[in-house]
Amino acid sequence: MAQPREFIHRKLSCGVDFAALDLPARRTAAYEIRVQSGLAHEPQERPGVARLVEESISKGTPQRTAQEMTDAFDALGAQTGSGVGRESMIFRCSCLPEFVDRALRLHAEMLRTPTFPDEFCNVGIELLQQELTALEDDPGELARRLIGPHAYGPILGRHELGTRESLASMARDDIVGQWKTTFSARRMQITVGGQIDPDHVAARVDQLFTGFGDEMTNGEDGFEDRFVAGTRHHPKQLEQEHLLICWPGVRVAHDEYPTERLTIAMLGEGMSSRLFAEVREKQGLVYWVGAWDEHPRTTGRLFMGASTTPARCDQTYRTLLQEVSRLAEDVTDDELERARIGIIARNKTHGDITRARVGELATDLFHYGRPMPTEEKHARLRAVTVADVRRYLEAHPRDELCVLTLGPRSLETGDDG
Amino acid sequence: MGGGRFFDHTLDNGLRVVIESMPDVQSAAAGFLVRTGARDESPQLAGVSHFLEHMCFKGTPNRSWRQITVDFDNLGSTYNAYTSKERTFYFGWVRSEDLEKQIEIIADMMRSTLPVEEFEMERKVILEEIAMSADQIDRRVYDMIHERAFAGHHLAWPVLGTTESVSALSHEAILEYFRNRYQPSNMVLLVAGNVRVDDVMAMAGRHCGSWMAAEARPPRQAPAPPPTGVYARRSDQFQQQALALCYAAPSASDPERETADVLASILGGHNSRFFWNIIQAGIAPHVAAGRLDYCDTALMIAFGFCEPDRAGALLDAFRTEIQGVRDSGVRADEVQQVKNRVRTALMTEAEAPYYRLMQVVQDVDVLGRPRDVAERLAAIDAVTPDSIGAYLTRWPMTGEGFLACLGPRDWPKNGGGGQGKGRLIGKLGTWAGRY
Repeated sequence: MAQPREFIHRKLSCGVDFAALDLPARRTAAYEIRVQSGLAHEPQERPGVARLVEESISKGTPQRTAQEMTDAFDALGAQTGSGVGRESMIFRCSCLPEFVDRALRLHAEMLRTPTFPDEFCNVGIELLQQELTALEDDPGELARRLIGPHAYGPILGRHELGTRESLASMARDDIVGQWKTTFSARRMQITVGGQIDPDHVAARVDQLFTGFGDEMTNGEDGFEDRFVAGTRHHPKQLEQEHLLICWPGVRVAHDEYPTERLTIAMLGEGMSSRLFAEVREKQGLVYWVGAWDEHPRTTGRLFMGASTTPARCDQTYRTLLQEVSRLAEDVTDDELERARIGIIARNKTHGDITRARVGELATDLFHYGRPMPTEEKHARLRAVTVADVRRYLEAHPRDELCVLTLGPRSLETGDDG
Repeated sequence: MGGGRFFDHTLDNGLRVVIESMPDVQSAAAGFLVRTGARDESPQLAGVSHFLEHMCFKGTPNRSWRQITVDFDNLGSTYNAYTSKERTFYFGWVRSEDLEKQIEIIADMMRSTLPVEEFEMERKVILEEIAMSADQIDRRVYDMIHERAFAGHHLAWPVLGTTESVSALSHEAILEYFRNRYQPSNMVLLVAGNVRVDDVMAMAGRHCGSWMAAEARPPRQAPAPPPTGVYARRSDQFQQQALALCYAAPSASDPERETADVLASILGGHNSRFFWNIIQAGIAPHVAAGRLDYCDTALMIAFGFCEPDRAGALLDAFRTEIQGVRDSGVRADEVQQVKNRVRTALMTEAEAPYYRLMQVVQDVDVLGRPRDVAERLAAIDAVTPDSIGAYLTRWPMTGEGFLACLGPRDWPKNGGGGQGKGRLIGKLGTWAGRY
């Protein structure tokens, strides 16, 4: 399918995979820099090092101290952020369109020539250890950390905070080593949008990243993907029990993904969704219940989650599973259409926000390897039928589940601790 | 600079309609503000405003709970409602062409039948929400601050109510509260987005014009100035120690609110003194400063979460940084950095009807009128190091302040202090730094 004119997508000579979107009426511009340097790229004995790279890479260059770097972004009014994921690290920026060039130059300086000062590396390690304590007070995130290695296996299932053991022996050299081996122009995707000249920005990016890590190979892909079924309980003193259920899905680029996406929407998006209606509105078992999908580039996982008082956890668990099975039996055209409208309409409303539009472009580039025009995406959703949903649910049975409970008591069906 | 295209009109029945036209976008957001919240409840009815918010989703003369949710989702709406200490707000964000349907659904909910057969089921949901809140250290310390800083006042009890108060609420009590508060002179219809004013006014007339006027909500009483001293609670449930050091601050409607917010940002926002001198000193991973403000009172709060054995160091660091701004003031470049960030944030806000709606509801409720992004930016641009110095004279962050502390350590000793002498004659706000 031909791309609309507003996109440009190029492999720049510096090696960066670049896409831009001209949004002429916008008041802001935004960009995302994605580096193939995520949790899966950490050495096995160094969990936590990716997050430390993300935290400490902004703490100085030969030209600027840590505070001078932050001040330089602030001088532009640039709103910056970063995060580390399973397969990549993302650096984001929103600013007024006239400052995109200068903000990109700062980011290039930061990513290419970090000095990783000792004092900031040491503090970063110390703070990560404190974050592990803080994690104990965040049951939702703690449950996600605990289910990760079972849902994805030991590599893709890593958590960004690492382990106390790993952090205890972590040093600046580990952080520098991780940066040196995983940061290069050829491992980067950059997406930009707003009131910008795409060709000009492309040329600017090419200039800024030329020669960066030329000696390095491209980033690897296709990490070990291991789903380990089972029911596990992590005891903790809480008012509520947190419940997560996971099973494998397809990758975003798979033909069945639009069907899967709509299936998840019917289960857990909106107050009319199956889980909200049955678990909360009809049975009053929970305040929070949801279903969502997660997608590394080469695989997918589907989740259902809820938190409830311990005495009601088993009933909640049974109801969640019943609702997925029931969907395969009695899904209707109306609810499929409702799920479809929801995704398409929210794509339009949220698309009014420049940084959201750029985020979508970045996600498309990561998963599809190209910008995907909105109409193409919507056409794929429109093509899904009730029969497709039934076929999908039949072809992907939930007979092997990864289940985690966090709280005062285990499920009656629990099989280990 | 965006915004400024407001239309403000009141229907014959007293319902006010405020519209912001945003011709460059493709969506629209609408909401009904009901000017009632936790502070407008009696102690016996603690939690009733929030319970009512849930019940409004449970049935109307035209729709069952199921039909309400189906109709929202058929629009692909981003919708919800919230209850705070001072307001209840129902809202939805849709494609511009779906605006009337969106307004019609929420207007229908504002005439809820509060179906009695759904009442006990919803009580269970709210008790689960209270249990969930009890597991969150930030919510617990937030409640502790209110419990003690506003002791004896309606601001003291939690928005959700307590397990006891919610368990005791009767359907009749909720129905009576609903009839008294959900009436046009106590409500505002707010719309932002790519809309035509005439069209929206016609929608308002069609869907709200027949609502019957009634008496206004009883007036609110201002709380006493916040106390000083320590309110500590030991809890083995949490691994961290939470600290909140509070001082009196200008209320949400006070002209000095922007000055206070810039100061809070310099102390505990992005690229702040707390960030470089507390977080990057390894004392605590999560610290910030912000103003918790209401229509007639506010607190400036330095808060953080740390390893229990570092709580003393964190408190000392808070006091050192506060003393630093008090003794030496703030620098012009610090103020300018906040202004630069605000400019970008406001431009982002001006892109999205949803963001604008959330700001307009705050302005209309607190100031009585909407402000566009240009006016808000001008208010920030007027802040200088000198005006912050003058602010600190009027709102001195001196003395022990009021300290709330929660965590596994039995620290510090409870008590001390007394009733504060802060000047508290203003209006409303939010927990956390704005810039």
